[in-house]
Amino acid sequence: MRGRQREQPRERGPALPAAVGALCRALPPRARPAPDTLRRARFDRPQASLDFWRLLYVLLKQIHGDRWTESDAIGAQVRFVKSALWYHGYGRPQLQRLPADGSVGSRELLLAFSWLLHSLHLLEHLLVQNRLQTGDEASVCTCEDELPTSQEGTTEAGPEGRVDVRYLQWLNGRLRLHWCSLHAQHQEQCKLLHKIHLFTNGSHMDQNLGHFSVTETDLIRQPENYKQLLQLLESETMQLEAFLEWKQLEPVYWQWMETVLDNMAEERNTGESQDAHVEKRRLPEVTSCCPWTDKLTGQMDRLSRDLMALQEQLHQLIAQRKAAWWEKVAAREELEKERFSATARKIQESVELKLRGLTSLHAPKKNEMHGSCRLVLRSKPTASKMGFGGCVSRKAVSAVGAAEVIRELQVRETSLQRELEQLRQECRHRLDEIAGGLEGVICISP
Amino acid sequence: MLPAGCGQRDEEEEEERPQPGSSTEHEDRPSPKELEELELLNRALEKALRVRKSILKTPLEAQGAAGQEWAGEADAPKKAEEQQVPVPAEDVPECRKVRAGSKKPLLVKKPSPYQLRAPYRTDPEVKKLQRKAPARCVSQGPSTAGKISSKGMTSKQGRTHKAAAGASAREVCAAAEPQGTPALSESAPHEQQSFSGGDSAEGKNSRAAGKDLLGAGKKSCGFLAEPSRKVDTAGAWGRSSSAGTGTLQEKGSQLRLPLPYRKAYSRNSRAWERCRQCPTSADAAAARSRFMERIQMTFCSPKLTPSPAEIEEELRGLQDVPSRLRQCVEAEPADPPTLQGEYESLLTLEGLQTTVSQCLQRLQQLREALESQLRLRPDCTGDVGRCSPACPPARGHTGDTADMLALPLLHYSSLQELRDLFALKLQVSMLHQEIALQKVLMAELLPVLEAAGPSLQGSAGLLRAIHTQLCQGGRAFPVLVRDELLD
Repeated sequence: MRGRQREQPRERGPALPAAVGALCRALPPRARPAPDTLRRARFDRPQASLDFWRLLYVLLKQIHGDRWTESDAIGAQVRFVKSALWYHGYGRPQLQRLPADGSVGSRELLLAFSWLLHSLHLLEHLLVQNRLQTGDEASVCTCEDELPTSQEGTTEAGPEGRVDVRYLQWLNGRLRLHWCSLHAQHQEQCKLLHKIHLFTNGSHMDQNLGHFSVTETDLIRQPENYKQLLQLLESETMQLEAFLEWKQLEPVYWQWMETVLDNMAEERNTGESQDAHVEKRRLPEVTSCCPWTDKLTGQMDRLSRDLMALQEQLHQLIAQRKAAWWEKVAAREELEKERFSATARKIQESVELKLRGLTSLHAPKKNEMHGSCRLVLRSKPTASKMGFGGCVSRKAVSAVGAAEVIRELQVRETSLQRELEQLRQECRHRLDEIAGGLEGVICISP
Repeated sequence: MLPAGCGQRDEEEEEERPQPGSSTEHEDRPSPKELEELELLNRALEKALRVRKSILKTPLEAQGAAGQEWAGEADAPKKAEEQQVPVPAEDVPECRKVRAGSKKPLLVKKPSPYQLRAPYRTDPEVKKLQRKAPARCVSQGPSTAGKISSKGMTSKQGRTHKAAAGASAREVCAAAEPQGTPALSESAPHEQQSFSGGDSAEGKNSRAAGKDLLGAGKKSCGFLAEPSRKVDTAGAWGRSSSAGTGTLQEKGSQLRLPLPYRKAYSRNSRAWERCRQCPTSADAAAARSRFMERIQMTFCSPKLTPSPAEIEEELRGLQDVPSRLRQCVEAEPADPPTLQGEYESLLTLEGLQTTVSQCLQRLQQLREALESQLRLRPDCTGDVGRCSPACPPARGHTGDTADMLALPLLHYSSLQELRDLFALKLQVSMLHQEIALQKVLMAELLPVLEAAGPSLQGSAGLLRAIHTQLCQGGRAFPVLVRDELLD
């Protein structure tokens, strides 16, 4: 058995090591495993476990846009990897059962790694995320910024642990002041960016861009400051070439992974298969201590409240309109019946069309871009669509227009404003109740 | 009799001036000291107004009576005004309305520096001071300066077009340098990511390079704060305000990047293009899907349940749906004139109602899916940090990753568009923060009040403050009226 399995890699000869090597080089520099790690993991060697846990930890942290340090404990790494894999939908129970000290399980981790390679398009995603940015960047996603959650209690408590509400008011005022000054600075930045973009129009060798960014303009003035930039460009190019090599040699790798699954199937047949049942009997304790769960359930509750309110409103409105409609129709029935039924069909079709445009709005927006885009000034409106059917030089970019982003932002702003108003309304309600309990004082809100 | 009486009154007034404290008619009019201060303040505001206006004009304004006026103003109270000039800079727009007709806007720029002798600063420096002052007020110490601040700081030339670019960049440094409290730094550098080290993922190699440059930039920004440097740069600014930017303006379209960079850049973009166009071979696709099928058979969760990531993504897409549907409902006319119009309106509303119930159904399904996924969840003791990404990774739904690898561009067509974009992004970010704050404050403050109960009698002020904070965002106050009619 063993001999047969070892033969298979040898049959493929040089292809498998080349594939594994290309894969490792296509990963970002700080998360690059040695090809030996993968090879050892295939045979479930415990020595490779720690390295593999670390590899998955770093990769998943990068994908999540999170920070990590070199000194993060193995226990934390293991917990994070398990949690993140669950989040992305990896459901192998054997992985969840691996010990928290990271001493065994390299083969399981190899499987998880391969699964991630495919389902998250790990390589492409990491390439895109770590793309060297030489332009003026702006992000177009409207996702909420994760505010740093500080677990400590009130750090500014005065004596006896009480906080003066006027301190809160002062802090609030200061926050507002900062927002205003940030706004002013942004506007200033816009003005200057626009100037540079406008003045350097026509200089860039890349047709899609057309003008320089601030970095590039400065690069012209002081090339000596940017040696590191050149180095990074070179290393990124090498990473891309490794990626291309990997794409050629991919099938070998996946076949190799299938042999891993074959091994495990055989072992399971000889071993016991009762662990799966034990797992299912675990008590489903839905822990609500996780802020992520709270956030999701909060969102769902708010959505259902809004939608049900809307439903109620529509229900009433439709009832009214229907009553009025039938009155009108009854009055004119003899006159317009025939003429009307002809147009009725047309109206139905046009309404269907209109609604189809609306219902597509709640499908997850496929064009939603997260991450940053390079700002480019394009004064002439181009007729051709970007990205797909345009002329050759335009295909390499996926461009989105500022006007579109502005529209999206406006919608988001409206809904956020609404949410804030609802919260304030609730506060008003509760405070009115409290104020009602006070004797001798009437509270009149503005 | 009348002149004598007037004369007497004049003498009284003159007597009152040097003895502000002893006047008995204090309540009727402001004290002389206040009048004097008011006069000083007015002059300072005028000067600030003039300075601001003169900067907006080109330096080639005609000399005229205004020049003499300016000279006439340059007398004793100037020194006191100097310190006051930066402070009311922010009020200048308001005072423009107040003192609308006071001075002619046509002012001389060139002669004024000559008439204001040293140590008075020249106009550009005043302008710089105006700009620096509000920036200083909010500076909080080590700042996460944006990318732009790292550029061009070490430039010492003052003549060529480089100075102009440097001056512009420096202005941005001055403006962008203090970034306020760290709480904002998360939301601020959206646009300034390319070389700033303030990004969340430290492991990004492309960003690591920025730290060195950032260090250099910060030092130079520090340099800039020294007044000694200001003279040099201000002179350059003053002279090149038309000449310097003009140079960039003239030559900007003929600039060329240095050769090594161009080579590296074109190699890089060719590599990206090849990667983008490189298709997944049929063998690879088949091998992948075989592996995936086999491994998914060993999963314990039912196949068709969406993963937590998918649930979250779908919820994110649903977030704006109630707003949009509500807009559609409100867009329907209340009383359509024609019969056809009414029919159309009715059909639309019914269609919207169907959509709403579909959304509600989907929401219910998502809820159940989340519950079943949570049952399989590993023990998460809370110190894991975020188990979900803040921003979802780009998903190639159709398996087509080509779009992912294309260079993402955001193109704008005018300055106004760019400004609106930035303003809206900040607004959305602010709203997110306000909502988070609101929730936290509600959770903290309301229980305090509700628990206080009858002992709240004496702390009407507390009620008022909390009401302001929670219900009006700290902008307006409720009125608490003592209910004395009961007595």
